[in-house]
Amino acid sequence: MILSFWRYCHLILAFVSALFLIVASVTGAILACEPITNNTQAYQIVDIEDVTLATTITQLKEEYEEVISLEVTAYHDVIASVITYDGNSEDIYINPQTGRKLGVVQQRDPIYVWTTNLHRSLFLKSIGRFFVGFVSLLLCLVAVSGLFLLAQRQGGFLKLYRRIKEKDFNQRYHIILGRWLLIPIIVIAATGVFLSLITFDIVPISKTEHDWSKEPSQQVSTGDISDIPFFQGLNLSEIRNLSFPFSEDELDYYEINLKDRDVLVHQYSGEVISEIEHPFNFILSQWSYNLHTGTGSILWSVILFISSCSLLFFIFSGITIYLKRKRNTKQHLVLDDKDASEIVILVGSEGGSTFAFAKALAKQISKQGKSVYLGSLNQYTSYQKATQLLILTATYGDGDAPTNARHFIKKLAIINQPNHIQYAVVGFGSRDYEHYCRFAEVVDQALKQQDQYSPLLGLEKINEHSQDAINNWLHNYSQASGIELKKELAVKKSHDYMQFKVVERSPLNLDDTFILKLKIHKKQRVQSGDILQILAPNVDKPRAYSIACNDNEILLSVKLHRKGICSSYLSKLAAGDCITGYVEKNPNFHISKDGAPVVYISNGTGIAPFLGMINHNGSRVASKDQYLFWGGKFMESFELYKSFIEKGKRHLHICQVATSRELSKTYVQDELWKQKELLSTVLNQNGTIMICGSIAMRDDVLKTLEQVMALECQKDLALYEQNGQILTDCY
Amino acid sequence: MKRFFKILPAVVLVSFLALSFSTPVDKINYKCLIQLKNYTGEGAYVVISLMNPEGDYEETLYVQGKDAEWYSEISEWWKFYGKRRPDIDAISGATISGGERSINVIQIPEDKIDKGYKIRFETAVEDQEYYAKDLEFDLTQANLKGKKEGTGFIRYVRLIRQ
Repeated sequence: MILSFWRYCHLILAFVSALFLIVASVTGAILACEPITNNTQAYQIVDIEDVTLATTITQLKEEYEEVISLEVTAYHDVIASVITYDGNSEDIYINPQTGRKLGVVQQRDPIYVWTTNLHRSLFLKSIGRFFVGFVSLLLCLVAVSGLFLLAQRQGGFLKLYRRIKEKDFNQRYHIILGRWLLIPIIVIAATGVFLSLITFDIVPISKTEHDWSKEPSQQVSTGDISDIPFFQGLNLSEIRNLSFPFSEDELDYYEINLKDRDVLVHQYSGEVISEIEHPFNFILSQWSYNLHTGTGSILWSVILFISSCSLLFFIFSGITIYLKRKRNTKQHLVLDDKDASEIVILVGSEGGSTFAFAKALAKQISKQGKSVYLGSLNQYTSYQKATQLLILTATYGDGDAPTNARHFIKKLAIINQPNHIQYAVVGFGSRDYEHYCRFAEVVDQALKQQDQYSPLLGLEKINEHSQDAINNWLHNYSQASGIELKKELAVKKSHDYMQFKVVERSPLNLDDTFILKLKIHKKQRVQSGDILQILAPNVDKPRAYSIACNDNEILLSVKLHRKGICSSYLSKLAAGDCITGYVEKNPNFHISKDGAPVVYISNGTGIAPFLGMINHNGSRVASKDQYLFWGGKFMESFELYKSFIEKGKRHLHICQVATSRELSKTYVQDELWKQKELLSTVLNQNGTIMICGSIAMRDDVLKTLEQVMALECQKDLALYEQNGQILTDCY
Repeated sequence: MKRFFKILPAVVLVSFLALSFSTPVDKINYKCLIQLKNYTGEGAYVVISLMNPEGDYEETLYVQGKDAEWYSEISEWWKFYGKRRPDIDAISGATISGGERSINVIQIPEDKIDKGYKIRFETAVEDQEYYAKDLEFDLTQANLKGKKEGTGFIRYVRLIRQ
């Protein structure tokens, strides 16, 4: 949250000022070259510390008809404005010891004049000066927000210069250059702001005026200037500017600007007529000017040059980082921290469309500037800032919880929320089922009984992802929450149905079960564990089957239901027939690529995806440690599948068949219990347990696994579930 | 040949006139001290111009202020200078701020003195007033010494012959 605040500040400020900053940094870099190049014309042939003002004045008066003024630059050049004996008025560099001319003061290069104007005012006079000053201020803030952002990232101000983990070039050097050039950049920006404030008279420099009419108190001595102690005691390094007396009138004085004060000095007696200390603001403005322009220090000018150039890099890399982040945001929703989010969306579903809807919803809400957290119902916990809880859940089997929602009801009762939360539950399901949206009802009821919760909206049931019903709910939600949402959230992808050719259909076995082999469509990438949606003729809705992929064939196991339209349609197919359908990717039920041990648990036709996984399949490395548990009615029922596991048998260590209708009546979970040690070892070795089959079996299996893990290693199965080690695909 | 002598006086006259025009007019160096009033804000632009007896600009004598983007703010003078914008680098210097004074050398054509010409001081400060006639006086020998009070940003001007 804090991170995103600083990032947001940093980004917004940088965006607003970027265009101006580009102009300012390019011109700034050019101007930084001026002191660097100027200084190479060295006229400093003597050390001005060794030359007294008396010497220089005497020499100048001898050398020229008239001397008007004298200036000592920051680089210790001495410039005099003189009228020569030929009557020419000249500005020249002089040797302060002899008064001799060393060279003519060149006009400032027109490029620098032009660039200075652009840098100071963008050729827009006062408006431009205001903008430039304002952008300087923004640059200050950009730098400061960047500092905070970096401190946040690095874990504190003391760790600012710690090693950076960033690998991306732009990001890495944005940080590295940023932390080294932070100080010069802040100096540039702050002095720029200060100079602007002086320009606009917000910081007044009230210099007191000399009283020129003041008369000397001392007797006029007509002695030579070199006898006057005041001029003897001053060396040139203490002087900035000196104006010679306008005339020989004794009321015309020397006007001398020293480093810390301005004085008027009597031209004959050397009496100090008037003395004015520089006010603090004036000294500050001199410092600002020198720091901002690099006047007087070549090293600092070089640093200014580097900093100006680096600003261009910061702008470029900043934009690149921003675009990259934005592109990523488009692909993956960047979610806020659970404790930073106002709105929490929890999903109960095995991926697919409900998750897609939840993501689309989260994105919309997040676009409205709300912080959103998206998670599964099992991840339910306390939320520090939540004001709304939105639950989107499917229902499995006999009104059961989807796998990733199994612990919700239990957790809801235990966990206390720090705030009062409004909730809304949306159930996804199909009226075709007896227990339509049953679990959503259960969740809604459970929340109703919690004191910390009050309903934002009533339970909404959505049949077959009906777009109308969804729009209706979105509308109601917008009204109730005040968050504007776009309708037409993409909930369902449109699918390209295609034809699959039947290769073989096995005869029905004693369980009315058969195996169907289909030819894989060219270019179609199918993986065991994916889902084949089959559309029977004259039916609107496809039926889903878990499939295996073996030797370029799709394998599915179908049980014929008396009333099942699709299964009876499939049971009548013969080789060469074509069926309509599409393959739905099911990445949550793919075998892991790391070769860690796998335990397959299934019952009935749920074995189908495993028939492919067990075998080496394409380039995918099958695990060398595989264990299969299958539950069916009779031993004979397994005969149907036996031939398919032959190939992978080398790596299949256990093939445990449990039969419920045989004499020794056992269920899958019973067999699992016997292999307690194996199961806990597999899980602790980062292995995976994959469960496919009926919901009832799944629940029994998970219960057993919980007991196993509690007994074997006193660990909560939820840990492994969150770690993605328990994969389910049940129906 | 006869014909040549007929036009000889005309040739002589034309040559004489041409020569007299190309003869450089003597210019006299004057030291000019400008003392500004103690106002706050940016440095003042000061333009010193020679005005002919008809009251039109004749010549720019000095420009205090090098930032050309502000020249158009000195609107009266700009009408004269802005048309052709001759190079004035040699007769321009840096601005000075309120309360400060500057001493510059200006060159005044000797033949314009006591001939009905005037010297005008125009002043302007960024985002503040513009004084078209901060100070204007007849170009006479008498006026070219001593002190003249300004009406705008200028407190006074002193001129002294070099």
